[in-house]
Amino acid sequence: MELIDRSRALTARGGVVRTLVVRDLRVRYAQSVLGYVWTILDPLLMSLIYFVVFVYIFHRGDVGHRPYFLFLLVGLLSWQWFSGTLTDTSRALIQEAKLVRSTNLPREVWVVRVVLSKGVEFVLSMPVLLFFLAIYLAKGDARLNGWLVLFPVGVVVEFVSLVGLGLLVAPVTALVSDTQRVIRILLRMLFYATPVIYAGKLVPPPYDKITWLNPMTGILEMMRAGLFRHDRFPIVWGAIATSVVMSVVLLLLGTTVFTRLERAVLKEI
Amino acid sequence: MADHWSGVPDPADDRAGAPQDATDKPVISVSDLGIEFYRSRRRQLSLREMIFHGRSGAPVETFWALRDISFDIHKGEAVGLVGGNGSGKSTLLKMIAGVLLPDAGSVEVTGGVAPLIELTGGFVNDLTARDNIYLTAGLHGLSKDRIEEHFDEIVDFAGPEVRAGLDMPYRHFSSGMKVRLGFAVITTLDEPIVLVDEVLAVGDRAFREKCYRRMEALLETGKTLFLVSHSEGDLKRFSTRGLFLKRGLLQLDGPMDDVLAAYNEDLDGGS
Repeated sequence: MELIDRSRALTARGGVVRTLVVRDLRVRYAQSVLGYVWTILDPLLMSLIYFVVFVYIFHRGDVGHRPYFLFLLVGLLSWQWFSGTLTDTSRALIQEAKLVRSTNLPREVWVVRVVLSKGVEFVLSMPVLLFFLAIYLAKGDARLNGWLVLFPVGVVVEFVSLVGLGLLVAPVTALVSDTQRVIRILLRMLFYATPVIYAGKLVPPPYDKITWLNPMTGILEMMRAGLFRHDRFPIVWGAIATSVVMSVVLLLLGTTVFTRLERAVLKEI
Repeated sequence: MADHWSGVPDPADDRAGAPQDATDKPVISVSDLGIEFYRSRRRQLSLREMIFHGRSGAPVETFWALRDISFDIHKGEAVGLVGGNGSGKSTLLKMIAGVLLPDAGSVEVTGGVAPLIELTGGFVNDLTARDNIYLTAGLHGLSKDRIEEHFDEIVDFAGPEVRAGLDMPYRHFSSGMKVRLGFAVITTLDEPIVLVDEVLAVGDRAFREKCYRRMEALLETGKTLFLVSHSEGDLKRFSTRGLFLKRGLLQLDGPMDDVLAAYNEDLDGGS
């Protein structure tokens, strides 16, 4: 099967992927002293803004789990990985055209490398989450539960979905250049269509089923499951199950499209 | 000097020697190869055109950049590729390097390839030259231990200016220094096949001479060389066998001197 052959070729060159990820991180962190701060500053400030807007202006701090700030932080950190990866994979092949043209690597490397390096950034931002979690735990506002085991599952499902989406988007943008803009706009719309700043449970049926098709809905549900009490918003298992299925569908679709378009892309870049 | 990168137990002393054993399996086997390109770049397609002018606004006119190409190259051969601009030389080289995929026929390459194509492609402007050496060599599949082993050799080859600027961001390098570093890294890769795309024309004369000597040393260790060049001198110096491409078709495959003669005759006849 195509997918198995391809991933075998990819793992055979695992060292190269690691080299590229290290290169990405080094470029990011070597460029400025504030390198690390930049990765966490964005989600932190956005969490703060949404917190102020919803709690103090709209007086609707109840649209998500309590503590709402922690709820926002989980959502925005994870969303940053998602949107950052999609923005970057959409130009992965074009930006590295010189390298793609001069090295005989499985071309999927260029996509997986982006997903991984953004993923490493996500993991590196976890101390911030832990810091606020510790504060809220100490204050008694937050309580952990056993569903915390779903957090790493969420990370894996997000990784798989992103590889699939990246493989889908990268060759298309290499062929049709304005796809990049379309993706930027879609991402901004998708942000509000995804339960990042509100709980997925608030979407009225039957429309909630539509939001389940977005794998991020289930992924956030998994990441939040163990961190909050579920008295007001019970865990939406339907969303979780759908996101697992969707991630596999996206991976298969992405692999197919990537293999189809690879030949044409190599000629164009 | 040659033993630094010899990985082949039986170096052919006579680099002019054709395949040492004609019954050997060829290291590069090309059969009925063809690749088709669009006349216009499809990247310039835009969604607007696609929406307003049907499925695609670009003319779908295509041409075969290469067609029905077949040849075998055996271990230790030095082959020069000759042809005018746009005859498909670089395209052929890229297909052998595996960075372009054929639309027809097949290319089979046994063993690794060290591509002297887009030499500076892997370097990152913001990192130091030292980091860049590790990263680029790593991208081409060299292990960390081997890079460390060859690090000094790479830097020595690239020249004293590069050594002085090792911890300087790569973007401050002159273009000559960049190419030297690229050449030094790629020729250190211990791959049995070396592909060269007109990079010998770079650098000052002293460096060019150094490149020539290294290429000869590579050939002496039994590596297979595939060379694209417009310089008759380079072609004669390194290659014993020539391939003459004209408008994507293989016109002649024979000894270098005959191929050059045919090429020159064709040029004179055409003008």
